[in-house]
Amino acid sequence: MELSVSLTRDELSAALSRVGQGDRAAFRRVYESTSAKLMGVCLRILSDRQLAEDVLQETYVAVWNKAGAFDAARASPITWLVTIARNRSIDRLRSGAALRKAVPVDEAFDLADDGASADDLVAGKQEALRLAGCLDELDVRTSTAIRTAFFQGATYEQLAAAEGTPLGTMKSWIRRGLLRLRACLER
Amino acid sequence: MTDSPLTPAEDEDALAAELSLRVLSEVEEAAARARAAADPAFARRVEDWDERFGVLADEIAPAEPGGGVWPRVDAVTGAANDQGPALRFWRRWAVGSTAALAASLAAVIFLIVRPEPVVQAPVPAPITRVATLTLEDGGVAMTLAYDPATGELYLAPTDKMHGDPRVPHLWLLMPEGGVRLVGAIDGSATSRHTLSGVVHDLAGQAAQVAVSMEQPGHTPAIDAPDGPVVASGSLQRL
Repeated sequence: MELSVSLTRDELSAALSRVGQGDRAAFRRVYESTSAKLMGVCLRILSDRQLAEDVLQETYVAVWNKAGAFDAARASPITWLVTIARNRSIDRLRSGAALRKAVPVDEAFDLADDGASADDLVAGKQEALRLAGCLDELDVRTSTAIRTAFFQGATYEQLAAAEGTPLGTMKSWIRRGLLRLRACLER
Repeated sequence: MTDSPLTPAEDEDALAAELSLRVLSEVEEAAARARAAADPAFARRVEDWDERFGVLADEIAPAEPGGGVWPRVDAVTGAANDQGPALRFWRRWAVGSTAALAASLAAVIFLIVRPEPVVQAPVPAPITRVATLTLEDGGVAMTLAYDPATGELYLAPTDKMHGDPRVPHLWLLMPEGGVRLVGAIDGSATSRHTLSGVVHDLAGQAAQVAVSMEQPGHTPAIDAPDGPVVASGSLQRL
């Protein structure tokens, strides 16, 4: 098995556009250069290797089907891919966990504060630092809740339960936090 | 932090962020998704938030998937690819013309139920409820029409349902919460069914419909899908 092949952002954008035209060699290159990243995303949300691989497979099938809609002028290719992987992982998490009432609410705030990985070949390092900086400007409970929502797919309800705060209060914190975040990013 | 109420524009942007972040409840999320499917400006706001949040994934350590994933992806997409450019054309067409699809669907039902062509006075079609089931990306998975009077159900999946080895199952989402299985459906072609008994009554009251993908040969309990819910949509009166 070949190791990850790194592509620059422009190369990945170009490859995705070719996938949209049905180019299977380009699809293979996209997989090889991004599957470890997306597997990390799936694994982070699902915490189970087999489930994560299953969702990863679904993710790339979706990438194949949706690549024609990728717009390099509007979206970063890696972010576009991450969004699909994250959404699919959360769908899987909720379809199984929610209905079996096995949501690990108590663990919702077990957010490991691991530093950014060195994997910045295709992601925008500047943008990541900027977002981190703006999140840091929010109060800690709000930025922690937003991060937990992103990394674990937690809903308002789960966040409120984990924090022991009323649902409406949690919503208000996050909604205002999100608007401040946008204002900070647009400064 | 101010406590003044959010302006409508702020409120809309917060909703877009909530949808992107996935913090909403199931029903709120389905409604927000329906909004995104129908409102391109709102959908763009959601994508903008996807772009903002997406960089957080930089903090997630990569993990090599097993060697079996690519061959499976290759097999599934390779099969879909064999259907060639026509498939892609239809996919784009289906996404771009939801409203037209729903309208033509109503016309089809109208003709089915009243086989004699009615040329003169426009008679209201007997279909009273329709739903466009959308995927997470706002793409259209299926259009559904249901006549509560007769129990007649019409399903028109797009090609987005094709090529999946799992079996789509249709669910009703009740306004007071809870889901109810209608049954396995054909994801590859349009189909007609007649609902009867309890499901007929429930379908008349349901707020939304959803599709889960179940493993072949597996039938989930009537109140809980086991596979992922891949598409959903609100039932609307025509």
